[in-house]
Amino acid sequence: MSDAFIQGTDVAVTGMAAVCGAYDVGPYLRIRKMGKFMGKQDGLAVVAGARAVQAAGLASPLGERCGLYAAVGYIPFEAGDINRLIDASLDGDDFSMQRFAANAFGAINPLLTFRVLPNMPAFHVSLNLDIQGPYEVSYPGIGQFYTVLEGAIAAITSGIIDVALVGAVADQRNFLVEHHFSRLTPPVEPARLADAAAFIVLERRAEAVARGATPHARLVDWRLDYSPVEPFAGRTPSECLARDGVCVTGIRELGPASLGVALAETGRGRLTHRARTRDGFTVSSTWEVT
Amino acid sequence: MSYRVAVTGMGVVSPIGRTSDSFRDALFAGRSGIGPITTFDPATLPTRIAAEVKWDGELMRDRKISFVLDAAAQAMNEATRAGTRPSGDGGLSLGLGLELFSMDDLAAKRRGRPVPDGIADRAIYLQTPSDLCVSMVAGRFELRAPPVTHVSACAAGTDAIGSAFRMIASGRRRWMMAGGADSMINPLGVAGFCSIGATSTANDDPPRASRPFDLRRSGFVLGEGAGVLILERLEDARARRAEVHAEVCGYGASFDAHGISEPHPDGRGAFQAMSRALSEAQVDPDRIDCINAHGTATPKNDPVETLAIKRLFGRRAYDIPVCATKSMIGHLIAAAGAVEAIAAIAGMKAGIVPPTINLDYRDPACDLDYVPHTARNHPQRFVLSNSFAFGGQNASLVLRAADA
Repeated sequence: MSDAFIQGTDVAVTGMAAVCGAYDVGPYLRIRKMGKFMGKQDGLAVVAGARAVQAAGLASPLGERCGLYAAVGYIPFEAGDINRLIDASLDGDDFSMQRFAANAFGAINPLLTFRVLPNMPAFHVSLNLDIQGPYEVSYPGIGQFYTVLEGAIAAITSGIIDVALVGAVADQRNFLVEHHFSRLTPPVEPARLADAAAFIVLERRAEAVARGATPHARLVDWRLDYSPVEPFAGRTPSECLARDGVCVTGIRELGPASLGVALAETGRGRLTHRARTRDGFTVSSTWEVT
Repeated sequence: MSYRVAVTGMGVVSPIGRTSDSFRDALFAGRSGIGPITTFDPATLPTRIAAEVKWDGELMRDRKISFVLDAAAQAMNEATRAGTRPSGDGGLSLGLGLELFSMDDLAAKRRGRPVPDGIADRAIYLQTPSDLCVSMVAGRFELRAPPVTHVSACAAGTDAIGSAFRMIASGRRRWMMAGGADSMINPLGVAGFCSIGATSTANDDPPRASRPFDLRRSGFVLGEGAGVLILERLEDARARRAEVHAEVCGYGASFDAHGISEPHPDGRGAFQAMSRALSEAQVDPDRIDCINAHGTATPKNDPVETLAIKRLFGRRAYDIPVCATKSMIGHLIAAAGAVEAIAAIAGMKAGIVPPTINLDYRDPACDLDYVPHTARNHPQRFVLSNSFAFGGQNASLVLRAADA
């Protein structure tokens, strides 16, 4: 799928924001008590989403004409929660269903069910920004970020929505996510994995300008290709981010958030992103950041 | 350019049938697929029943992978019965449930067991990533257009079909395999739903445990399975003389932006999803002949869905048959919307509305025509199919009979 998809579209990026590592979700909570249901990926997404919306000069409620398009990383069950469960479930060295039901079940934090679900970042962002439009929630990598970006652009250009909040979030400093990346060929060292979220706001350029917004970036070209690959067979991944032709790729592994973070953190210029993923995607895009 | 989108293949692996024909027959007969949990020993968990797929032979550890491969093969067989594959590169749009996490492996890891050497064992050790389904289905069926994975929980199957519909209608993809797969009938899955009080604990009478819209409903019953549809341009389907089962003609999605596990009390999000689907289909509400409800049998969902239907259809809501497939197959979570779309299409083709079984005691807050107990002859040209997720993600499809 190539440039033809974006030719003739006049979509502008009017807001961008990224969060890597520490964050404080407090100022962005519309309903404070909902904070207790939030995992790390939820908090990261809410902060990045809210800042992107602020940067676009928009505010909650975003309502029915705003859609949310997000790619979420691998599921981050917390080690503490899981360890409590297994500690209460062991019979000798083995997992015992009888002990799990008798002892561990009562120790399950019901919130555990919610804090790691891949649709929960979208829930918390929609709640705190009062987004009532359509959505697309995908998983788990940068290829899927391109597919939700495709969905968002299609929704804007077809007039289904006026504003799209498009982003990605990955809670990766997590024992289970680290386990996953360590078993790949080639493995990813845990130290390279980072927690990150990034969102961009897309609008039809003419309407954005008419409401007084400043377009910050424009998608110049785009490619989204796929070839099925044998899972875990060792397709060598690669990712390159270049600003005005100079590579700016860092050593961090940001999962589906890599392009969004680069857009938000890179200054003016021409940003080119290319990636070849383990799961068969070959993607690229060029953005003019003004 | 907007293309009409035809359904030319359907495959299903469900608790009441492992082919679309056997599923349809069981559905119309009002057969329950719910029984005691056998895939593991639920011991003294509050919920010890589920709607399991009855499967002879070997299954992958993450059962949903086996289910979706089988359903996809059925759908492709059906779509290629005319002797040709759909035209051009195909894509995949799949709604998927959570990664499978193994408590046994965690215990073994603590004993110092290293990660296995072989690729296949390594891929499923401790945690099986759900995107394995996408790679395996795309590889098996040579789907070379970029796939889309949907993880919107209970709405994922419907979102997958809706997303594929839009990609084909807009010309972005030529044809798609679309559906959903899930199996959460495992210790963590069942315990997780128990811990939030979402599942029925009517362990003594499993076939009667799932009671959508009934006054004595006590939560949903967890199910498992997969549903896959082949979607292609109607003109392509006709050109290659493929059988057209139905058309997908509208999709709507919305956020409740309200509660984590309870729907907006006014049914706002459900109303928006349904009305957006109708609007995209350019179908007036007066033309809807049947609604395949989300109908989970939870205290919160059923009255709110009823309210949203009444808000959308006005007085006519009382004249539209509303059926709850989950009364028979339980809640298939990410696969629910796909399997229920297949149920809706089967009903349209046969002119039969599947029943809502176990609806014995009328709830005053649920006062529509839910087709209780037995299937009903009823011609249908347009059917609405609903899926509403934990976290307030709502999705609806409008399906059109092939000859409408």
